[in-house]
Amino acid sequence: MAILEVENLRAKYSARGPEILKGISFEVEDNDFFAIIGPSGAGKSTLIRCINRLIEPTSGDIRLDGTDMLSLDTRALRRKRRHIGMIFQEFNLINRMSVMDNVLSGRLGYVGAIRSIFRVFTNRDIQRALELLERVGLQDHIDKRADQLSGGQRQRVGIARALMQEPNLLLLDEPTSALDPKISREVMELIRTMANELKVPVLCNIHDVQLAKEFCNKIIGLQDGYKMFDGPTETLDQSSLEEIYAMEVL
Amino acid sequence: MQDQATPLTLDDVVRLRRRKKGVQFGIFAVLIGLVLWSVQATVIDDTDWQRIGTLADIGESVAHFIGVDFALIPSLLGPTIETFMIACIGTLLGLVFCVPMIWFGALNVTPFKPVTYPIARVAMTLSRSIHEIVWALIFVSAVGLGAFAGILAIAARSLGFIAKMSAEAIENIDHKPVEAIRAMGGSNLQVMIYAILPQVLPVILGIVIFEWEINIRRSSVLGLVGAGGLGLVFFRQMNTFNYPGVTTVIIAILMLILIGEVVSHYSRKALI
Ligand SMILES: Nc1ncnc2c1ncn2[C@@H]1O[C@H](COP(=O)(O)OP(=O)(O)OP(=O)(O)O)[C@@H](O)[C@H]1O
Ligand SMILES: [Mg+2]
Repeated sequence: MAILEVENLRAKYSARGPEILKGISFEVEDNDFFAIIGPSGAGKSTLIRCINRLIEPTSGDIRLDGTDMLSLDTRALRRKRRHIGMIFQEFNLINRMSVMDNVLSGRLGYVGAIRSIFRVFTNRDIQRALELLERVGLQDHIDKRADQLSGGQRQRVGIARALMQEPNLLLLDEPTSALDPKISREVMELIRTMANELKVPVLCNIHDVQLAKEFCNKIIGLQDGYKMFDGPTETLDQSSLEEIYAMEVL
Repeated sequence: MQDQATPLTLDDVVRLRRRKKGVQFGIFAVLIGLVLWSVQATVIDDTDWQRIGTLADIGESVAHFIGVDFALIPSLLGPTIETFMIACIGTLLGLVFCVPMIWFGALNVTPFKPVTYPIARVAMTLSRSIHEIVWALIFVSAVGLGAFAGILAIAARSLGFIAKMSAEAIENIDHKPVEAIRAMGGSNLQVMIYAILPQVLPVILGIVIFEWEINIRRSSVLGLVGAGGLGLVFFRQMNTFNYPGVTTVIIAILMLILIGEVVSHYSRKALI
């Protein structure tokens, strides 16, 4: 069953600016690890930010779990966003806070104003954060400040934070392109394991085609705001790559 | 020009350099002329030279101030503490009033840009462009003589600078954590507390300490217009022609400022 349906999505950054997404459609199903590939500037980050409306699409349709995302008001959007985990290329952690506080911050969508001011979280949340930190291998770094960790470790904090949300969907914007190849694989492996275990579908921007082939079961290819390819990973061949990358990759 | 790539001859280069030097010299000459003219207008024409008298007279006037009035020292303790407290409480009060101004005055968080942003910017400029003595005069006439007027004057004078610098710090934050908190369904308040404040709090604290140090200087003259502290004592010594007393007060002010500088230096260092 499709959990996320995107139809004819269009987006631009300013009224008179160029159109960045020119009518993109695709469907993500329950167990998908779904990749979006394409050259730099193709619109991958824009597309993924339209799903949770960090960027407002100009037209089109986005249905997540049956909810029409584009019709939500601010309040309803916030409630919906707390079920969408996001992992970023540059981790987007709160550098001056501890690893623990960063992971707990994943619960903010569920926490009221007063409790978030004083950083009060339930014991259940703290228990869950501890479990997740152990799962991502950071049990020895709980009280360190986030900016004292290595890149790979920071992304693990990012993963734990996203999973803290108990998400129904994970959005990843190039989660490994700030990491070296070995750590990249470890991080992707970790995400795959956790996503399988928690049964969360993943939508992932990735520019490393090799990684996409290795970890993802479905791929769409973007170029200059158009979808150039859509299909299971096995069907992605040299000619489709050449089309997506406009002969960049040979 | 560069595309044509015609190589410059030695003559060209020499001529260009000479012209550049000529322009520089011209500007320099105009500047010197302006300085001379303003000295002529403000110092030479405007000073009552008769009253200054000979060099010996000047020396004699200055010599009045040599010496310390030890009898005055015990009665200085109260005003010194008062000056210090005016600076401390005034800075804190300024900080409290700053909070909405910082919020309104930072482009990336101001709640309703076309209204709140200009309000904050005007308030900041007003606060900073009115001298502390003028603020003190205003508050003395509003709440009467004494330290309270001084506190209000210090608060009013320093909030503009604190707010301006802090708003700038907020405008220059790293937006990546902001995006993360928004993406997980965080509210504006949560974005402020989790993504923005941790980045700017150390900066703002540094600005406040810096301003506190300057406020010690400011509060030590406020007494001149009746707003409490050492300035009042200074004024009295001056009026009764007790020149060693004046010197004593100046020394007290200097010591207070020195303490402020030392505290400010070390605490700001600790923040980094
Ligand atoms: N904030 C913005 N304002 C205006 N234009 C933008 C903005 N962000 C991106 N763009 C433009 O939108 C286009 C798509 O950018 P996007 O970041 O989505 O590409 P991408 O596929 O993620 O590329 P990369 O692989 O480099 O991350 C680019 O041409 C870019 O210049
Ligand atoms: Mg991108």
